[in-house]
Amino acid sequence: MTTAQPAMLVEVEAVSKRFTPQLSLGDRLAALLGSPVETRTVHAVDRVSFGLEQGEVLGLVGESGCGKSTLGRVIAGIHPPSEGRASIAGETVMGDGRTPLKRTTRIQMVFQDPFASLDPRVRIGETISEGPLAHGLVSRTDAPAYVARWLTAVGLPVEAAERFPHQFSGGQRQRVAIARALAMQPDVLVCDEPVASLDVSIQAQIINLFLKLRRELGLTMLFISHDLGVVRHLCDRVAIMYLGRIVEIGPAAEIFAAPRHPYTRALLDSVPKLVTGSDELVTFKPIQGELPSPLSPPPGCHFHQRCPRAEARCRSDAPQLAGGTDEGTGHRVSCHFPLAGEA
Amino acid sequence: MSPVLLDVNGLTTRFATRAGSLNAVEDVSFTVAEGEIVGLVGESGSGKSVTGFSILGLIDPPGRIVAGSVKLNGRELVGLSHAALRSMRGREIAMVFQDPSATLNPVLTIETQMRLAIAAHESLGDAAARARCIEVLGAVGIPDAARRIEAYPHQFSGGMRQRVAIAIALLNRPKLIICDEPTTALDVSIQAQILTEMKSLAARLGTAMIWISHDLATVSSVASRILVMYAGRLIEAGPIAEVLRQPRHPYTRGLLGSLPGIARPGQDLVQIPGAMPSLIDLPQGCAFQPRCGFADAQCATMPALSAEGARSFRCHHPLAAETAP
Repeated sequence: MTTAQPAMLVEVEAVSKRFTPQLSLGDRLAALLGSPVETRTVHAVDRVSFGLEQGEVLGLVGESGCGKSTLGRVIAGIHPPSEGRASIAGETVMGDGRTPLKRTTRIQMVFQDPFASLDPRVRIGETISEGPLAHGLVSRTDAPAYVARWLTAVGLPVEAAERFPHQFSGGQRQRVAIARALAMQPDVLVCDEPVASLDVSIQAQIINLFLKLRRELGLTMLFISHDLGVVRHLCDRVAIMYLGRIVEIGPAAEIFAAPRHPYTRALLDSVPKLVTGSDELVTFKPIQGELPSPLSPPPGCHFHQRCPRAEARCRSDAPQLAGGTDEGTGHRVSCHFPLAGEA
Repeated sequence: MSPVLLDVNGLTTRFATRAGSLNAVEDVSFTVAEGEIVGLVGESGSGKSVTGFSILGLIDPPGRIVAGSVKLNGRELVGLSHAALRSMRGREIAMVFQDPSATLNPVLTIETQMRLAIAAHESLGDAAARARCIEVLGAVGIPDAARRIEAYPHQFSGGMRQRVAIAIALLNRPKLIICDEPTTALDVSIQAQILTEMKSLAARLGTAMIWISHDLATVSSVASRILVMYAGRLIEAGPIAEVLRQPRHPYTRGLLGSLPGIARPGQDLVQIPGAMPSLIDLPQGCAFQPRCGFADAQCATMPALSAEGARSFRCHHPLAAETAP
């Protein structure tokens, strides 16, 4: 591992995203008349910073409500950040002018549900060529060959271009969604749970497709998933999120072998493992309690209420994401009392 | 071996559709012993959920159980009257579904819903019924049950709602609980809590369970025996550790190979090519044959379920017993 920081393709700097639902008419009137009205703000992402190197696959892991999808959408330029900045090769994705960089082709997204993300009334060929045509990546005469090239790249027959989404199974539709994203020749692909809705055998096919595309195209990916097995298999680095914050980030092999944050440890212990020895005793060490509401996150470290190592300091003082002894590998953890890092 | 509680024999459930007859469950036979946890595994469309529904008589037209028998403690359930099925459901066999927000009534308090479930089978006094509800809620890990019982489902998180659904299933002390993907919609940390609790509850109360899931790892952590289904048929069964260590059916091995976490990170997974065939238009003979690397002319005839000790499999070319995945 190099100690010199290589130039990052994607830079995420102190990005926060809050959602405040609009007040109803009655509440607004009441506020005008001077009565106290409660605004409920969800802190989905809280000052998150990280970088993504060219050709790297970063897994973004966390449970529902931890803000991983929101963060992915901020980076993809779908939501503007409330604070902070996400940039690709130095260009701000969505700046103060709120002009999305999405209008260029640097970043594309693959969504979880290929039944919702493809227009049912548009032929596959048109779905794939619409973006590249609009951006002048390909001429109208070359479009059919261009579509065929990407269909082949994702393992679909060329004739698929003439068909409609309903003629395909879930796995094939996800291939179409991937082809649509790749046809824009993006620098970065943001994948939000792209295999979560697929059956195991189909999931394996799509994971293999990602591995192949990575080898052939040198894709840079942000891979959002709750499935630790998939992330471990596909990603170089992993970032673990909890309630809007990154609690640990580092090389995948290191994090899976020797997590430093008590939450990462607990998450890994919660995953059911395939038991193949008849005398193996299955014991989980479940995390106590539940995810606190992002409407009112606990003060200090967000995990302290469920953490076996929590002390007084954790209740008031939010730890910073910092490198420990493993700074050379970029393994950083946000904890006052990190684990020693033994397996 | 404990006495047999449930005996399913030749169960066949079909749905009449405009495109033809859909063979959701075809000639499925298995038993569940008292207190045993059996995992029923397969991908979408394999027939695992319809098998569970068929046992409880929850198949509505256009679906119909066209053949086979389901015996609970020797008593035939197929063909029972509506009223007889109703008095059996919940009291002798209960079910926990995947999505607790869809199974709980949003406009009734937890207490009302739970007491309805008790009242369906026995008349208990107010105080006794309430006490039993609180006791069962506490047993499934709901803190402060005496107060929370007055809440509505929307005041609970997804994990807590599933606990309530499990509590309702336990209320009448059934002999068997059919769990249809009960933890699939939950986060891993909550799933781990519920798996641990259900396993110890089942052991304590001696309740048998059929645990339906697509997730081999989850099933392997609760069940002692596994049934693997593909395209409506049971294709492999046996003690779970043995089956996972040395699968005999190529499909079971393919499923195991598809799991990330067994292969080395970054390596291609052993994938099964293609997709499950349509249940309306199944291939001749073995349904797995178009996706199978071992298929030959013989596979155009349906292989019989062959038994070897505690294990059975439906394949003309079973993998050798010593082949590890």
